[in-house]
Amino acid sequence: MKRSSTNSISRRAVLRGAGCTVALPWLESLAPAGVLAPSAFPKRFGVVFLGNGINEDHWSAAGDGAAMKLSKTLSPLEPLKHKINVIDGLYVKALTGQGIHPGQTGSLLSGAHITKGAVVHSAVSVDQMIANHVGDESPQSSIVLACEQPMTGYHETNFSMVYSSHISWQSPDSPVPVEVYPSLAWDSLFDNRGSLLNISILDRVKDRVQELTGKISSTDKTKLDEFLTSVREVEKRVDGMRKSKAAAEDAAKARNTVAAIMERPANGLPEDLRDHARLMCDIIAIAFQTDKTRVASLIISRDLSAMYYPFLDVKEGHHAASHNNASDGYERIARFHVSQFAYLASKLDSMKEGDGTVLDNTCLMFLSNMWIGRKHDNSRLPLVLAGGLGGALKTGRTLDYRNDTEDNRKMCSLYLSLMDRFGLELQQFGDSQTRLERL
Amino acid sequence: MRAKVLTCLLASTAILLSAAVTPDLDHDFQQFVRPFIAKYCAGCHSGQSAAAQFDLNAYTALALVTRDYPRWALVGQRLIAREMPPKPVPPPPANETQRVIAWIHAVRAEQIRKFDGDPGVVPARRLSNAEYNYTIRDLTGHDMQITREFPLDPANPAGFDNSGESLTMSPALLNKYLQAAREIAKHLVFLPDNFEFAAHPMLAESDRDKWAIQRIVKFYLRQPTKYADYFRAAWRYKYRAALRERHATLAAIAADAKISPKYLETVWRLLNERRAVGPVLKLQTMWRNLPEPASHERKTLDAKCLEMQEFVIRIRAQTAMQFAAPKVRGLPPASQPLLNWKNREFASNRRQSDSQALRNDTDPPPVLPEIPKYPGLHQEAAPRWAALMARARAADPDLVVPAAQRMRYEAAFARFASVFPDRFYVSERGRYFPDDSEDPARLLSAGYHNVMGYFRDDMPLMELILDENGKREIDRLWNDFDYVASFTARTWTQFYFNQSGEALGKGAESGTPRPRDHEITDSEVIVSMRDAYLAKAVADPANDPVAPRAIREHFDGINATLRALETQRKEAEPKHLDALLRFAARAYRRPLTGAEREDLLSLYRTLRTKNQLSHEDAIRETVVSILMSPDFLYHFDLQSTASPEAPVIRPASMKSSAAFASRPLSGYELASRLSYFLWSSMPDDDLMKRAASGDLVERDVLLAETRRMLKDPRVRGLATEFAGNWLGFRQFENINTVDRERFPSFTNDLREAMFQEPVRFIEDALSNNGSVLDLLYGNYTFVNPVLARHYGMPDIEGSAGTWVRVDNASRYGRGGLLPMAVFLTQNSPGLRTSPVKRGNWVVTRLLGEAIPPPPPTVPELPADESKSELPVRDMLAKHRENAMCGACHSRIDSFGLPFEGYGPVGNIRTKDLAGRPVDTMITYPGGETLDGLAGLQTFIREHRQHQFIANISRKLLAYALNRSLQLSDEPLIERMQARAAANGYRFSSLIETIVTSPQFLNRRISDPQHAPDSDSHLRRAKL
Repeated sequence: MKRSSTNSISRRAVLRGAGCTVALPWLESLAPAGVLAPSAFPKRFGVVFLGNGINEDHWSAAGDGAAMKLSKTLSPLEPLKHKINVIDGLYVKALTGQGIHPGQTGSLLSGAHITKGAVVHSAVSVDQMIANHVGDESPQSSIVLACEQPMTGYHETNFSMVYSSHISWQSPDSPVPVEVYPSLAWDSLFDNRGSLLNISILDRVKDRVQELTGKISSTDKTKLDEFLTSVREVEKRVDGMRKSKAAAEDAAKARNTVAAIMERPANGLPEDLRDHARLMCDIIAIAFQTDKTRVASLIISRDLSAMYYPFLDVKEGHHAASHNNASDGYERIARFHVSQFAYLASKLDSMKEGDGTVLDNTCLMFLSNMWIGRKHDNSRLPLVLAGGLGGALKTGRTLDYRNDTEDNRKMCSLYLSLMDRFGLELQQFGDSQTRLERL
Repeated sequence: MRAKVLTCLLASTAILLSAAVTPDLDHDFQQFVRPFIAKYCAGCHSGQSAAAQFDLNAYTALALVTRDYPRWALVGQRLIAREMPPKPVPPPPANETQRVIAWIHAVRAEQIRKFDGDPGVVPARRLSNAEYNYTIRDLTGHDMQITREFPLDPANPAGFDNSGESLTMSPALLNKYLQAAREIAKHLVFLPDNFEFAAHPMLAESDRDKWAIQRIVKFYLRQPTKYADYFRAAWRYKYRAALRERHATLAAIAADAKISPKYLETVWRLLNERRAVGPVLKLQTMWRNLPEPASHERKTLDAKCLEMQEFVIRIRAQTAMQFAAPKVRGLPPASQPLLNWKNREFASNRRQSDSQALRNDTDPPPVLPEIPKYPGLHQEAAPRWAALMARARAADPDLVVPAAQRMRYEAAFARFASVFPDRFYVSERGRYFPDDSEDPARLLSAGYHNVMGYFRDDMPLMELILDENGKREIDRLWNDFDYVASFTARTWTQFYFNQSGEALGKGAESGTPRPRDHEITDSEVIVSMRDAYLAKAVADPANDPVAPRAIREHFDGINATLRALETQRKEAEPKHLDALLRFAARAYRRPLTGAEREDLLSLYRTLRTKNQLSHEDAIRETVVSILMSPDFLYHFDLQSTASPEAPVIRPASMKSSAAFASRPLSGYELASRLSYFLWSSMPDDDLMKRAASGDLVERDVLLAETRRMLKDPRVRGLATEFAGNWLGFRQFENINTVDRERFPSFTNDLREAMFQEPVRFIEDALSNNGSVLDLLYGNYTFVNPVLARHYGMPDIEGSAGTWVRVDNASRYGRGGLLPMAVFLTQNSPGLRTSPVKRGNWVVTRLLGEAIPPPPPTVPELPADESKSELPVRDMLAKHRENAMCGACHSRIDSFGLPFEGYGPVGNIRTKDLAGRPVDTMITYPGGETLDGLAGLQTFIREHRQHQFIANISRKLLAYALNRSLQLSDEPLIERMQARAAANGYRFSSLIETIVTSPQFLNRRISDPQHAPDSDSHLRRAKL
């Protein structure tokens, strides 16, 4: 198991700050350059988050396979229903009974107890656990995106709003900063910035050693030669990784016309949420397809969202609207989010990979931090999974855990089951030591 | 004037010494020594399975003997002692033996003559992991322990991991360096004039907030704001004559009491004002009634001063001003511009007294108001607070004033309040303020709902307590906060998106859509929002007339702050570049060349332009580049070729007979060598200044610096790295050989404490210039709470970091290194003790004897002492009966058996794990019988002390020189021992002998192609 405290450096690293981490080559396990064997398509994990819950009158699913019936809010997923699982009845116990909103959100993906007051403390989230585990194999270990700026003050419950504004946590003390600018998210993924920077650093080291060679004794030169050899070796691998990724990207573009070749998004923030969400989904889709990263999270609207939906004809802001459980506006907002999720899933499904599609090798998770907004009820969470994880996850099902024992209603059990499928087998995660039954 | 002795010394060692061939030795070796070996020794000591793994036939040339001389010295010793050849073999004729012994000695003498003072070959080397950690600590100010996941460093033959002989580089390690450099760069904090490093990564906004807030809160908590301290100081001044400090001034007393002189002056004036009434008079009376020095007991005085303090606090709490947010129809009172006005009112009226708090003595008793419920979200908190205050005031008789003198009393309360603010500063604020709910702990918070926000409220502290420096510092800290964490901009943005909708009537938790053509933080956006609020404020004549001003001040303040920060950021860029160059010079441990400066700046510019990085990212990336440079990662010799700074001295007379060439170290090289010896880390600023001025190479300065450095806490680096490797406990923090079920007291904390004990002990000896003999016989040790418990000592209060010296430690069976738990535990294989390992540790590690490794086929002792039939002592006795085993074991066992009174985790015991009493009466070589630890110490003192001194001298020298020792170091080692003996075995006598030795002060010019005379002798001399 890996350590994940703030100070420890995992093998991968760095360049955080753009809402993403750039992987360094992991020498021992670098994948050979060239095309991957068909059986070895990478598995990906993506989370799409909607704050403030859903309209319960219109969120339900019944039956399996072609017979699956989807309610109004879930209807955008109709074309994909053989590739999804609609799950009901799971929840995070540590986030109940301690006050609404941030206290219901701060450890949604880790199940940890979170701290009130001046000190922010949660736990490493499941997406970052997976990123730590598989992140070395792609240029970036994860991308963490949001369409809404974080809010970081205090809620009346005295929990920090940091908890409301982030779902991905890199350490118990720090959330992963979210990237809200599509252009910057694009840059960090596609201009190879991380490897280019590493190469330029290594080049400088080489130059310096060569410059020194004339000035130092031959004994010292032997020692610095050893250094130089190591530098060359690492550089070769960084560059190899960069090139093989570029080749994979070209190959992907060549064999698949559906996957739009994406232009760099314009600088600044898109004014319309629809544009913003679509750009973010495109970035995730292409990043998955070209194996720039295998883990992504996207907050379309955070908890206590202040976003407006004039295009849905909703007058109030998102949070205000959520206080009317049964309102049509509230339903339209949730459906809009589901449609974004469906857009991302379809896009992945349009990308051929071997005999299947990228979606078939992915698990996308859609969830909210509560069931319904007015009661702030989080004893069950709206949850949809899409994609079959390379056959490791059966799809086309509705799974209802509402009548299960409390032990089999844990989100953390689901996370354990999913991490297993990424080869990360833990004894315990959050509040669970068991795998989710029937998954 | 300082004598330049050292410089002369340096010069004299730089001459090329003679390396004349020694035909006699060579001749004798071939003609006489080798035949002797073949005849008497090679029977056992040759081939693959040579006895003691010592193959004497392998030495075919004199050069091979000199290279491996220590083993040949041993040959000589064994021959002198007639221990070899062993018993059944008939001894060689005495004259032949004598001749071989004489030859061995002659080899040594010749080597020493030829290479006297030779600095030796010290190859370039990277920083060891330990050095890397300490260097990063001193470079960044934070102990990041960043090499935890690095591969372990191997040790050289001398047992140390700080030499080029063993420190290699690999791609895997290089990758670690790259990751470490990136991780370190994440800790960068950019300040307006500089950059520094934080203890944690600084990329997430919440981390930046945390960092900046902690600095401010710590500053507040450091300030002397306790009234009682001032009353006591005023008392002291009043009675200065009686207290025998007739000439003490208020300022001197303040300095002594660590309180503000300015404020003491203010308080003193108030306490001595004439014709006082009301609270001033009452306080004066309390002060005058403080006990006189002659009669007083300290406790009474303190208690009385505290009473005065409580009185002041109570009166000021009751008379504090109260404010509410201005009322504006359609805006909640918690609306940011209005709430902020309230905050500002509180903050600027802390030295005012609320005259409404006073009651005339003629007034009827006040009517007590109902206490309203806690205010809801966005509601005004003032009514509830007012009711709480009214009730509290009604109950306070000190607020009743004579109606006839109302004005005079009001003035007294005002005077009182001007000296005693209701708060000096506010470091925590909850959702409502002031407030009696359990809702604080939001540090420096403005009290907004959901949206972040900070508010500075420390005017009384500024006005009354702080001097000019203090004011500048807290101003700077607040500005840094905004500079680092951009809180004004973030609050504004969050407000804009989440609350500003209230101005348009959309409710308190609604925002405004993104403006089309502007960034949210642009002036135009702020101004237009201000105008929307102003329109609201003037829309209804019933609105509070102060509202427009409140709104203007709020928005204009935000705008001004953001614009000022923009300017500041622009102006900071060149300053950060200067800081970057300073950082590089510190990392490289020398000044940068002009070309290097230009190169770093051009890298920065490329990153900005070509790679399109932001200013901060480009600096961060350049820092990574600096940390990857060989100039940081390596110690290497830039000047072994002739350079104008350090000319190689080549006396013409000795041209053709050079054994080695050397040159003096430059000031900077010497600074690094010294600091990596004494601290395992980079030189500090003082040392670099000495290096820069050039006087570090002067003996006096060098010794003064050495003494200063030994007193510095960083000397723990030497204690840990030198002693840890010498005594073999450096990796103890990671050992897992103890069965924790059988020894549940062995926790991680205890393990860490065991590890620390010798480090603390040796650190103490180094920094207080103790005797190295204390390591053997010192009747004291250092313990923390967990170790004290393990040792059965009285409890120590405090955390694991609390270490205290325990004298008369023999009461507890401790004192000096020998009975330290770390060694006893490390040398026990789990469920029993091992007198063999413990004895071997004493004999080889401490005393430096060479004991050959055991043959591969020895029987193992039972693993679990509780399950063996005989005590370990008896089993060993049997073992020694075998002559083959006895040869070594007789030299080892009696040094391990005295420790049988200590169990497998170093615990005191009288019975072994099988319940048999332990016997610690030991018969030593020579027949003396002595008991236990004290006996062992006595035996060493009488017979083996010289070995210990010789050994620690050797080890310390090898550590200091970053290489294995060579024969020519022998005179220096003898000098160390002689100086130690002449100076009470002070640690300094060893260290100062080393740092002033030619070996330490010079550098070999080892490269044939650059050496002045590259004849064959020189090359041969490179052993």
